[in-house]
Amino acid sequence: MAREAAPRLGSGIGGARGGQSTGVVHVFWLAGMSCDGCSVSTLGAITPSVEDMVLGRIPALPQVVLHHPMLADDSGQDFVEPYRQAAEGTLGAPYVMVVEGSIPDDQSLERAGQFAGLGVGSDWPRSLPSARASEQPLRTSDWIWALAPGAAASVAIGTCATWGGIPAAAGNITGSMGLMDYLGVDYRSARGVPVVNVPGCAPVGDNFTEALAELLQYLEGIAPLPDFDELGRPAWQFEQTVHRHCPKAGYYEEGVFAEEPGDTECLVEIGCWGPVVQCNIVERGAVNHMGGCMVAGGACIGCTMPGFPDKYSPFYKAPPGSAISGGISKVYGGGIRRLRRMSMKSGNREPMWDNAENVPTGWGRAKGKRDPVDKVNAYFYKKLQYRGSVNHAARNKKQPLPQSRDILTQKGVDHTRHVDVLGERIRSREEI
Amino acid sequence: MSAVPTTGARRVDFNPVTRVAGALSFQTAVDIEGGQVLDAHALATLFRGYEVILEGRDPRDAIFVSSRACGVCGGVHSTASALALEMAFGVQPPPMGIVGRNLMVAVEDLYDRPTHLFTRVGPDYSEPVVRETNPELWERALQTPAPGRATHGFALIADIMTAMTRFSGKLYTEALGMSRRAREAYVLLGGKYPHPQTIVPGGLSAHINASDLQLMFFRVAEFFDYSQKVVAVWDDIVDFFFEADPRFREVGRGRANFIDLGLWDDPFAYDGTFEAASSWAERRWSTPGAIVDGRVRTSDARRINTGVEEFVGHSFYEDWGSGRAGGSGNGAGPNRLSARHPSNKETIPQPGEADPSRKYSWSTAARWDREPMETGAYARLWATAIADKVPHRSFIEPTGHSLRLAIPQGALPATEIEWRIPERWGALERNRAQAYALAFSALVAYENQVIALDLLRRGGPDAGVSTHYKVPKDGRQATGLWGGNRGYLSHHVTLDGQVIQSYQIVGPSTFNMSPRDDSGKPGPCEAAVIGTPLLSTANRERCIDVLRTIRSFDPCMTCATH
Repeated sequence: MAREAAPRLGSGIGGARGGQSTGVVHVFWLAGMSCDGCSVSTLGAITPSVEDMVLGRIPALPQVVLHHPMLADDSGQDFVEPYRQAAEGTLGAPYVMVVEGSIPDDQSLERAGQFAGLGVGSDWPRSLPSARASEQPLRTSDWIWALAPGAAASVAIGTCATWGGIPAAAGNITGSMGLMDYLGVDYRSARGVPVVNVPGCAPVGDNFTEALAELLQYLEGIAPLPDFDELGRPAWQFEQTVHRHCPKAGYYEEGVFAEEPGDTECLVEIGCWGPVVQCNIVERGAVNHMGGCMVAGGACIGCTMPGFPDKYSPFYKAPPGSAISGGISKVYGGGIRRLRRMSMKSGNREPMWDNAENVPTGWGRAKGKRDPVDKVNAYFYKKLQYRGSVNHAARNKKQPLPQSRDILTQKGVDHTRHVDVLGERIRSREEI
Repeated sequence: MSAVPTTGARRVDFNPVTRVAGALSFQTAVDIEGGQVLDAHALATLFRGYEVILEGRDPRDAIFVSSRACGVCGGVHSTASALALEMAFGVQPPPMGIVGRNLMVAVEDLYDRPTHLFTRVGPDYSEPVVRETNPELWERALQTPAPGRATHGFALIADIMTAMTRFSGKLYTEALGMSRRAREAYVLLGGKYPHPQTIVPGGLSAHINASDLQLMFFRVAEFFDYSQKVVAVWDDIVDFFFEADPRFREVGRGRANFIDLGLWDDPFAYDGTFEAASSWAERRWSTPGAIVDGRVRTSDARRINTGVEEFVGHSFYEDWGSGRAGGSGNGAGPNRLSARHPSNKETIPQPGEADPSRKYSWSTAARWDREPMETGAYARLWATAIADKVPHRSFIEPTGHSLRLAIPQGALPATEIEWRIPERWGALERNRAQAYALAFSALVAYENQVIALDLLRRGGPDAGVSTHYKVPKDGRQATGLWGGNRGYLSHHVTLDGQVIQSYQIVGPSTFNMSPRDDSGKPGPCEAAVIGTPLLSTANRERCIDVLRTIRSFDPCMTCATH
């Protein structure tokens, strides 16, 4: 590796190195009650990607030494050894703890055993309590309390580690909880930072790697503490409801709603919670700016939120609030929609077509002449539109028709082929 | 401990086994000097209680809750759950809904196979690892031209090994890139990955237009060249090891027992009913199969389902007695399934000390006809090749002993590749088959693309994506018979009064990574580890051949225990 290996965290506060990082930071990944989906999401991220961080390819970031079970070189004791060193304080480099999956209440198990395990008893630091028989699996929850105080930052990725998620849902028998609940309200990292939360089930991978990059730049002293909200979420990612940037929000505005899965309209009435859920997936996309639940046609079930899943269940049933807000939207949105359709009647027409009273398309049976009512509507509309400015409607009326319009007819070239490939697909202008 | 050290034996713990999905640990007794593994126990070290959490819920929650059992096979559980609910509700999706789901599973495989082949097993055959454990093989690789050079571009076997290096290797980073391309295709219909947001009972909640299909097609088309390349790479690596030392055929040796329920439904055959399951499942792009010692015992999905049992003698669960067998008041009526069948099972966790002579894993021991069975992307190839029943033969041609795959032209010319059933089954052959499975999935994606475009262009009811359903009030029992990217996957649901009474999941690794069953038979991976020779000539303590064996099973522990 080209990077120098010496830890540089905490030195040179305030961008003294011109935004350049030369440090090394270890990242310890701990999977509790996890499905590994957050790891999979993270591997899908591109800004930055995991491999770029690990290979130290990004100038403004320290090189990341990643300890992740799914990506590691070593297995068994060789893999767990750095965890032990970090817990003992002998790692010799700063580290960030990332927790994926909720944390089971297995500290309360009377008998031996664990719901989530990592390493065996002989791997456990002798300086710490909670030693277990040398050959028994260790509890992941032990590693988490052992690593949290010395970590430069502790990051919870995904809705399980942030709020509890499905393993903490009603009826669970593992007593699972999120990282904030486990570490307590007073927890601060070695660098004074409370738990950072990047929710989502699974989260957008780029939300996580971007937040981690921001955090690393802060820990390196080349950027201020990122803007986290009152629940420790990256505020710039989670401050808006997903509905505000939803491509279907315009349907809501016009009061048109999907009735069955697969319909293109707003999904609120088939169970979308988007108007009250904080998430950015529809603008950011799920991977490489593509996808997003409602972009594809799926209803939001609140998977970034505390209380998921129970507070959003049953899925694909309209939220009660939507009856009121949706009802109102249907009334005023219906009016707005009609007004817009009226405006659109003079849209889709070149001024030249109005002058020629002819629409030169072979795809539809468009009326050349406009309805008198439409003409009157358009007249007053344009009057308002151009008031205090230049009246292009009037100017266009004076514009002569080009002489070479309909050139093939003028030249006498045979150009109408009597092969009907369109058939019923020829539409009348009104339908367009 | 049962693994009492004999002469030369020492205990080696692999906790965790890394570069697999989920929490897996192996406890072994190894004779390092003698180069033998004497005993092995597979420990699943994670339990979250999904089956218990699903009990007492609205059935409409089942898809999105059960999907979250696994984020590595992050889409397949949704569909398995949808199939179970469709059977329970009596609802049949329109053809486009079925084709859309086929596309999603196929492109999910295009993300999953490369990830497995190059980020999980690949590094075990990479330059740093081979140089450390078998320096003489590295020397040989430097002298050995790669036969597949025209396809993959690497001149020497050593060049392939260098490219497989973790993080810095070209094949490693290319696999990450290709897995992202496949996900881009996935989220066009799924919204996100893992845990798609568009799979519903009765089809899909996705609007499919020409842009979606074209965007997806351009990405799928990249996998024609890529899968040729991946196959050539793995053919070269596998053949190199076998030629260098035939004993590599013994690493991870398996019995050739396979179970698979088939994958990718015929859009004009699937009707969601249990009564017709044998016929619609047989029309899948990959054929269901239960294979014992290399011979097909049945290709009937219903018979495969009937033979499945789960044992908990060595698992951290209490025995549930007779459960629902015989119909004990769940409203679904009596069933004639074994009391050990997942539909009759209850999940009663019993955490405790890991003791190989008693209980040591959170995974149950799943068996078929009381036999340990392997499953995986390669089980698809086996079952489809031998049964020779696939009705969709535009690009796929089983022969009874092989599977021929016609790959369309990309930058590379069109070609036909052929996966042949190997005489001996082991770790390297599993990896080779995974590479061919990538090509298989790309071709299934392509053919379903063509069908989807055709449905879209023709319009009408067949182009619809979902069918309206109502949650029935009476008791229902149903099974989602499906395949994960890693093979066999079934969801078993019992409903009554519009509430889930029982929900059970059997994932691929519930078979592969199972502990001993009640009769003491080791699980398939345990058995394969026990037989494995240690062929390292240097740093044998690393037990690389044990790890190669375990990883070749493509373990996914979050599917195995939920």
